[in-house]
Amino acid sequence: MKIRWPLVIRRFHKWLALIVGVQALLWTLTGLYMVTVHIDIIHGDNLVRSPAVEPFDLTGLASPALVVAAAPGASEVRLQRHFGRPVWRAETPDGPRLFDAKSGQAVPDPTEAQIRALAQRIYTGDGKIVSVRLLTTAPQEMQSRKPPFWQVEFEGWNRPTLYLSPSTGELISRRHTLWRVFDFVWMLHIMDYDERTDVNNPLLRIATWSAFAMAISGAWLLIWSFKRRKRKTA
Amino acid sequence: MKKIRLTPLFFRRIHKWVGLILGLQFVLWTLSGSVMALLDKDKVAAHAHDMGHAHPLPGGEYFDVGALSTGDPVLGVVLRDLGTRPVYEVRTQKGVRLVDATDGAAISVDESLAREVAAMINEAPIRQASLLPKSTLETRDHEGAMWRIDFADAENSSAYVSADTARFLVMRGDTWRTWDFFWMLHNMDYMERKSFNHPLIIFVAFGTLWLSATGFYLLFKSFTRTDFRWLRRRKKPVVRTLAN
Repeated sequence: MKIRWPLVIRRFHKWLALIVGVQALLWTLTGLYMVTVHIDIIHGDNLVRSPAVEPFDLTGLASPALVVAAAPGASEVRLQRHFGRPVWRAETPDGPRLFDAKSGQAVPDPTEAQIRALAQRIYTGDGKIVSVRLLTTAPQEMQSRKPPFWQVEFEGWNRPTLYLSPSTGELISRRHTLWRVFDFVWMLHIMDYDERTDVNNPLLRIATWSAFAMAISGAWLLIWSFKRRKRKTA
Repeated sequence: MKKIRLTPLFFRRIHKWVGLILGLQFVLWTLSGSVMALLDKDKVAAHAHDMGHAHPLPGGEYFDVGALSTGDPVLGVVLRDLGTRPVYEVRTQKGVRLVDATDGAAISVDESLAREVAAMINEAPIRQASLLPKSTLETRDHEGAMWRIDFADAENSSAYVSADTARFLVMRGDTWRTWDFFWMLHNMDYMERKSFNHPLIIFVAFGTLWLSATGFYLLFKSFTRTDFRWLRRRKKPVVRTLAN
C-alpha cells in the first residue's frame, strides 16, 4: 500500500494542534507581551532613583574592627549613608545591620515614620503613600525574598509598591501592575503554575517538543502545498 | 476589488502565508524553547547564584580607615575577606583600589590571586588562566578587566574573577554555552544575545500571533464528527450489552 504522506502529515499536524493549540496560542500571546513591554519598565527602574554619590570623609571613623566584634559572622562591612550620616553596614548571616560610623554604636531599626520618609525619597513618582505595613510573611510577589520587610504602597494606576529592609531601610524590591502581569504571563509561558520558576518541568518539556513537531509538520505541509501549486500551473 | 469574506478558506490562506514568511522563526522558537526546557537549569546557572563563597571576617585589629585616602575623594569603602586575608575595596572616581586590611599594602589582582579565588568555587584542577581587558559574550552582565580561569572538568567550566576587586563574578560551563546559543535563537538578538525588546522580535511576535490565532480558529473548522468516530466506536459495544 502506498502511504499518502500529505494526508498522514496533515492529520498529524491537526491532531497535535488539537492537543497543544491552546498552549501555542498562549505562548505567542505571552511572548508578545514580554517583548513589547521593555524589561527595564518591568524591573521598575523608572520608579526609583539611585542614591547620589558623595565623597566620604574618612577621618575620625570608628574602626570596622568594632563592627566585626559586634556582628560576628559578618562577611562584608560597607561604608554608606543613613539619613545623611555615615554608617557601617554589616552583612551578617541574619541579614544586614547598621552601625554608626563615628561612634561604632548599633543604629536602631528605622521607625514607620522613617520608612515613610525613606520610601518617599527613593520613589520618583508624584503619588502619595497609600499604605505602610510591616510584613512577616512574604506575599506571592516577594516569594524569592526572606521576610520581614516593610511594604510601602503608592497611589497610581499601576499600584507601585516598594519593599524596604526593616533593619537598614534600604530598598529590597519594587513591584507594580506591569511586573505582576509579567510574572503571571511568565507563569503561563513556562507552565509552572506553582512556583513560577521551574523551566524544566515535565509538562513544559512535553508541550514544547509537541509544539516543535507541530511546527515542523506544518513547515513540511507548507513546502508541499507550494510545490503542488507550481506543478498544477505548469 | 474583490470583497474579503471571512471564510475558513480566507483564514487558511492567512495561516499559510504568515507561515511562509515567519514560519521559520516559529519553528526555531519551538525548537529553542524545547532545548532550553530540556537543559538542566542548575547546570545552566552553574554557581552563578551561589553566594556560599562569602567568608566571615576575622576578629582583631584592622588597618586604619583614615589612612586609606590617597588624595582622591573616596566614594566608597568595603571591607571583605578574600578567603585568605581581609581586604579593603576603596572606590574613587578613578576606579577601585584593593588594599590589604591588616597592613595597608596595595594588592594587585595577579594570576595567582585570581587562581586562588577561583579554586574556592571549583575544586577541579585549573587548566589555564588568562587576563581579559573587558567583558566578553560570556560575561556580558559584568564590566571591567577580568581573569578567566578554565577548569579541567566535565563541564569545561570557566570562572571569571574581577581584576579590580578579586571578586568572583560568574561561572560558565558547556551547558550554559549550549543554552546561550538557543537563548540567542529565542530572543533573536544575534549580536548581544541580551535584549528581547527590539523591533525585529516585536514585529515577528506580532506576526506569529496571526499564525497561532488563525491556526487555533481553524481547529474548529478542520475537525468533523467523523474525526472522532473512533471514540464512539469503542463505546458502542457497551451500549449493546446494556440493551440486552
